[in-house]
Amino acid sequence: MEYKAPVEAYTGVVREVTIGKGNKSLKIGGENILPLHFFDQGSNPNPAKFALEVLDMEPQDWPEHLIQPFKDVISDPVKWAKKCEELGADAVFLRLVSTDPAVKDSSADEAAALAKKVAEAINVPLIIYGSGDDKKDAEVLPKVAEACDGMNLLIGPVLKENYEIVGKALLDHGHNASALSPLDINLLKELNVKLGKFFPAEKIVIDPESAALGYGMEYSFSLMERVKQIGIITKDNMTMMPIIADLGGECWKTKQAKETKAQGLLWEGMTALSLLLAGANILVLRHPESLKLIKEMIETR
Amino acid sequence: MVIIGENIHVIARAVSVAIRERDANVIRDLAKAQTEAGAGYIDLNVGPMKKDTEETMEWLVNTVQEVTDLPLSIDTMNPVAMEAGLKHCKKRPLLNSASGKTDSKEHMLPLAKKHNCNVVISVITDKGMPPDVDSKIESIMDTAAYANELGIPNEDIWVDPIILPVSTAGEGQRFAVTNLEFLKILEDVLPGVKSTVGLSNVSNGVPDELRPVLNRVYLVMLGKTGLYSAIADPLDKELMSLIKGEMAKIVELIHKTMDGEDIDLAALSQKEVEYVKTAKVLMGETLYSDAWLES
Repeated sequence: MEYKAPVEAYTGVVREVTIGKGNKSLKIGGENILPLHFFDQGSNPNPAKFALEVLDMEPQDWPEHLIQPFKDVISDPVKWAKKCEELGADAVFLRLVSTDPAVKDSSADEAAALAKKVAEAINVPLIIYGSGDDKKDAEVLPKVAEACDGMNLLIGPVLKENYEIVGKALLDHGHNASALSPLDINLLKELNVKLGKFFPAEKIVIDPESAALGYGMEYSFSLMERVKQIGIITKDNMTMMPIIADLGGECWKTKQAKETKAQGLLWEGMTALSLLLAGANILVLRHPESLKLIKEMIETR
Repeated sequence: MVIIGENIHVIARAVSVAIRERDANVIRDLAKAQTEAGAGYIDLNVGPMKKDTEETMEWLVNTVQEVTDLPLSIDTMNPVAMEAGLKHCKKRPLLNSASGKTDSKEHMLPLAKKHNCNVVISVITDKGMPPDVDSKIESIMDTAAYANELGIPNEDIWVDPIILPVSTAGEGQRFAVTNLEFLKILEDVLPGVKSTVGLSNVSNGVPDELRPVLNRVYLVMLGKTGLYSAIADPLDKELMSLIKGEMAKIVELIHKTMDGEDIDLAALSQKEVEYVKTAKVLMGETLYSDAWLES
């Protein structure tokens, strides 16, 4: 008897989010199949994208083998961002780490000016994250949104504590919001519901938090998997958004990645590949060689 | 549906102070109010009660019995406090509770036989909480068989499937559905047994103002699948109206949601919409979040 593989069809469609404008833009999401289920009925019009991370100050705790590819540009975020573009990143991810009160507490105006310079200097879309300090981000991110008015960037993290003020600024200045909740699907949905009351759902990206291999990655994996299942299979309106996996920083914090370059590349590469399988739509990496590794892996599929 | 009034509970500070200071009025008022509200039993949740056990239980049971003719549910994990309470009950009491744990089988279940009372038996065993319907059924069948051998008939056993908070990430909603399925088949596998639940646990961890609607809807759903009794708050007027059949339209909406019928939300009042949305969460149809009524 001839075997016929079962083909599933789903009802949910992940919203397609455009980051950037014109030829400086990319699309994520839009799929109506589970991650990499190309054998099912439906499609993913926008294969996963990869961003490389730039900090707004010289990194303090990066191992030598992570700094090396950027050695000549590491003290200049604008040049660093251009270098990322040359190295094949689909987008640049700028983290305003210096604004953290526990780091340099640099001002919102300085951060906004830098964000604008970076956005204008590169020819790929820009993602901007604050330091993650909810109070400081509530000052910094609105300024950044204003300085980059109309550029349709992806800005975050929008948190339960500051979604009203940050969300409103993003809306006023035409940006997308990256909504972050700490590894919990119920909280994640709640934030989307609350943000979605005044912010268009088709401009929200989910950041469920991405832990590194060996440091709780399975939690991020299960969560992303569940977000996709609930969105695509049961059509939950408030989880049908693309997912960003901000994993580079988590990977390069590990003892293993710091020890040797080979371990670091594999750590970041394996974490990225795993979260890709779980359903991440855009992944943030730090090392250009792990970017190359994972891109090759996908292209040989 | 028999409501076992939950309000005399040591976690409530006023109650624990009243017990410690022998303030009979606080206890009497709570017993009276619950009786008038239509409770079928009064639960006395005294916690582990390590001090002055005998004397305290005698005082508490007698104080409550001064103002109500309802039977009592003695609610403690301590077998000494349990026996001290049971022996002063005038009406046939409810032992709340035993389980399939070895310790409970050896020290609690024999008390139910000795004092000829009804007994709540939960599905918990030495291995912990059974994770799905099949293992819950298997564990309660084992424990019920053990109770039968002690001479406790099925008719005196009130099975508790254990309700967990629906807001527990990932698993809470699955457990809510599991309990509905469990109750549907319970009567077939253990003919004659009754059932009960600790209702308010379903909304544990949920913002206070949102708890009542979850409790109410879940009780109606459990009622549809055959639940006999619940430890709940009889002072919640809407909850009592629902189970007395005074809110037929809402009950019907909840039942329709359970049956998967299409419901036109636009034709409903705000309050009816909230009941339907809550039922969908408890059926596991929409993902829980604290904002479930808003989406």
